Amino acid sequence: MSLIARDIRLKLGRSQILHGLDLTAQAGRLTAIIGPNGSGKTSLLRALTREYLPDSGSITLNGRDIAGLRPEVLATTRAVLPQHTVLSFPFTAAEIIRIGLTAQVDSGRDRLIEAALAKVGLPGYGGRLYQELSGGEQQRVQLARVLVQVWHPVGRGGPCWLFLDEPVSSLDIAHQISVMELAADYARQGGGVVAVMHDLNLTAMFADHVLLMRDGRSLAEGPPAEVLTDNLLSTAYGCRLRVNHTPPGGVWILPQAVAVGMAERV
Amino acid sequence: MAMLEATRVRLAGDRSHIGRRLAALLFLLLVVMSLLSLGHGASGVSATQMLLDWLAGREPAQVDRIIMYSIRLPRLLTGLLVGAALAVSGAMMQGLFRNPLADPGLLGVSAGASLGAISAIVLGGALPPAIAVLTGWHLVPIAAFAGSWVAMFTLYGIATRQGRTSVATMLLAGIAMSAMIAALSGLIIYRADDQQLRDLTFWSLGSLAGASWTKIAVAGPVIALALALSPLLARGLNGLALGEAAAAHVGLHVQRVKTAAILITAAATGASVAIAGAIGFVGIVVPHLLRLISGPDHRWLLVNSALLGASTLLAADMVSRTIVAPAELPIGIITALIGGPFFLWVLLSNRRVLDA
Amino acid sequence: MRGLIAASVVWAGLSAAVAAESYPDAGKVLAIGGSVTEIVYALGQQDRLIARDSTSTYPAEAQELPDVGYMRALSPEGVLSAGPDLILSEEGAGPPETIDLLKEAEVPFVTIPSGTDAEGLTAKIEAVAEALGVPDAAAGPVEELQADFSRLAEKTQDLSETRSVLFILSLQGGRVMASGQGTEAEAIMELAGARNAMQGFEGYKPLSDEAITAAAPDVILMMDRGDGEDGHGAAAETLQSLPALAETPAVRNGAVIRMNGLYLLGFGPRAVDAALDLHEAIYGDG
Repeated sequence: MSLIARDIRLKLGRSQILHGLDLTAQAGRLTAIIGPNGSGKTSLLRALTREYLPDSGSITLNGRDIAGLRPEVLATTRAVLPQHTVLSFPFTAAEIIRIGLTAQVDSGRDRLIEAALAKVGLPGYGGRLYQELSGGEQQRVQLARVLVQVWHPVGRGGPCWLFLDEPVSSLDIAHQISVMELAADYARQGGGVVAVMHDLNLTAMFADHVLLMRDGRSLAEGPPAEVLTDNLLSTAYGCRLRVNHTPPGGVWILPQAVAVGMAERV
Repeated sequence: MAMLEATRVRLAGDRSHIGRRLAALLFLLLVVMSLLSLGHGASGVSATQMLLDWLAGREPAQVDRIIMYSIRLPRLLTGLLVGAALAVSGAMMQGLFRNPLADPGLLGVSAGASLGAISAIVLGGALPPAIAVLTGWHLVPIAAFAGSWVAMFTLYGIATRQGRTSVATMLLAGIAMSAMIAALSGLIIYRADDQQLRDLTFWSLGSLAGASWTKIAVAGPVIALALALSPLLARGLNGLALGEAAAAHVGLHVQRVKTAAILITAAATGASVAIAGAIGFVGIVVPHLLRLISGPDHRWLLVNSALLGASTLLAADMVSRTIVAPAELPIGIITALIGGPFFLWVLLSNRRVLDA
Repeated sequence: MRGLIAASVVWAGLSAAVAAESYPDAGKVLAIGGSVTEIVYALGQQDRLIARDSTSTYPAEAQELPDVGYMRALSPEGVLSAGPDLILSEEGAGPPETIDLLKEAEVPFVTIPSGTDAEGLTAKIEAVAEALGVPDAAAGPVEELQADFSRLAEKTQDLSETRSVLFILSLQGGRVMASGQGTEAEAIMELAGARNAMQGFEGYKPLSDEAITAAAPDVILMMDRGDGEDGHGAAAETLQSLPALAETPAVRNGAVIRMNGLYLLGFGPRAVDAALDLHEAIYGDG
């Protein structure tokens, strides 16, 4: 079971954003989409979740064309975490997470809401007003909302999917690790995860499969070891990049160093 | 909060139990307000006395019967329907536009209705006799309702491309259209004579004084249907609070929710404006107050808005018809006079929350 | 429901038929419209009044009666709470919903036709007297009215020139709202032997500066807001301050007349007095 996108072309206004992109993401793997600013990562994710309707190309999820699926059916198979969410009214964290249960037949699953809060490291935050939370906390509440929507990585109709647009962008390093662990764990249990990533170290640590984009085109797709190379990255980002090269001096901190023991703590 | 944790069964941050209790309270309040409204008026007719008389098999006096059956009862029902319709429409528009200050005016409903009413009041005399006989003195309400729908559909048409309605376009086009309609209204008002101008003033301040069974028979079902359908949109409007994209991702038919919210609001508001004129402030104050008490969850917000909106309008109407009795103040004056300062007070005392 | 409508239709028909009838026993009369109330007083029938509308402000005693509101926005319960057994109304009372309910409540509702000439005014007084069941009481006031009209005729018949009058309803924000054709203001100035300076539009309309200058009225007529000499001074100052008005013969010569609105435009029993006063004010100096 997988997500297969073929020849995706997308035009927004007068500019061509995506030029015939292909992507194959397998369930059970964490797929990362990386690339410089403006390379079309978020647009691709939006096309994959039908927020943008591509001008041509096909997208199938678990073997079914997503264009033919009704929103409530699609919603039980995949959940989407946007980059950031502006809220218009003073909802509590619990009320926000409950919105994730909209497509569920029985929406009164309060225990799921508490479990999701605990999972994103915010136990007991249910009664807090969303607007009074910090940016990082808000992002994790949204993640909890996304999680309750597709709680079981493998459902009755096959694997479920998480689409995450820069899930760790506003988080501190400890929470970056724990959220990535959570996503990787989801994949390990059989679910599919597609994440737009900025941080190359975290991508290297957690991704099983990487799509490197530039100017709305795919530059490379494959395992991290094959995509995260000096040449490809330098071409993509337009500056000289070297993999596995430690600086000669000064202070540097890598998330890899924190990861040890993180899984136990969370 | 301490109580919530003690019970432990309840999910922290889930305020639906507050909404539920509030609904019960508001229902009681509405019953009380309805009885008060039936029992109070410029004349000293007592509802209790009439009921006792009726139980004892005594025929009420003709005038008392008319005051109770033909004046207060239709007025009560009109107040209930209009108050509920205004508050629910306000809550829905705020949900749709994701703005606590939105109101049905953004759909062009109010401007369209007043253009209709103005045309009817000023140009009504020029109608061919055949049509004039058909509409009789219901011309103003009919024209107001028609005006609100024409304006709303035009706006909806402008803002909808390839099956998607852009709320932002609707907002901006609404401003442009309201300006055009206001200009057109001004043009017609220029033709108005002194008496028609006074009629317009009274219409624009709203009143339940014109309540009648005929009007309820025509507008009542429209409003009642709109109110009955509104709870179906609760989850949709909750989803929209996250933005349209996120709403679609959680499984909502966003376009359907938008279309339904717009149609329901136009129906409820159009019919209300038609039978009671333009009554301001209820649609903004009532939902806002309820959000402060039980949160923005539309599952209870819509129901409670209907209940509190109805009570509010009944209260305002009681003031309007007793304060200068036997004459009457237009109800729009009361709602704005009481609603305005109250709203300011609520805003100021919650400044911190709002700014956050 | 249908029965109710049918009943009210039948009633509407019935009461139209009985409108010409009189109600000598009616002891609780509600008068709607300033001129109707004045006529009731002129007929000496004021003891039978129990309430009035907000336009009924003359004579002063009338203001002590309960006020049921503006005649075009009457509240049905408000009217019924006054407990009238006869309602006398000028044309145009409303809203229609209220009038229907009053008919349903079997309160006799008599509409007095409006009129601005000798015939119309006489008919008005007679209609009120008839409705109150005192047709003979009309004789006195009607005679007086006719005498007034002949005095007025004497005064106005051999005028060497007809002066033009600009009636200003309001000066809100420096915009001049003036009377055109078919207005009571025009009727009263014509009775007084003057002519309307403004031609070519119906009703009351805001005027452009050029239209005012072109009309060059000899006299400006305004309503007295009951603020006496101070108000008069203020009005004169306002007129002076508006360039278009300041250049008119009226303002240059100080020919600005202010009269009570109901007296001037009410067309009750005092209409001819008002016309005579107006005549004096317009032509008195020349």
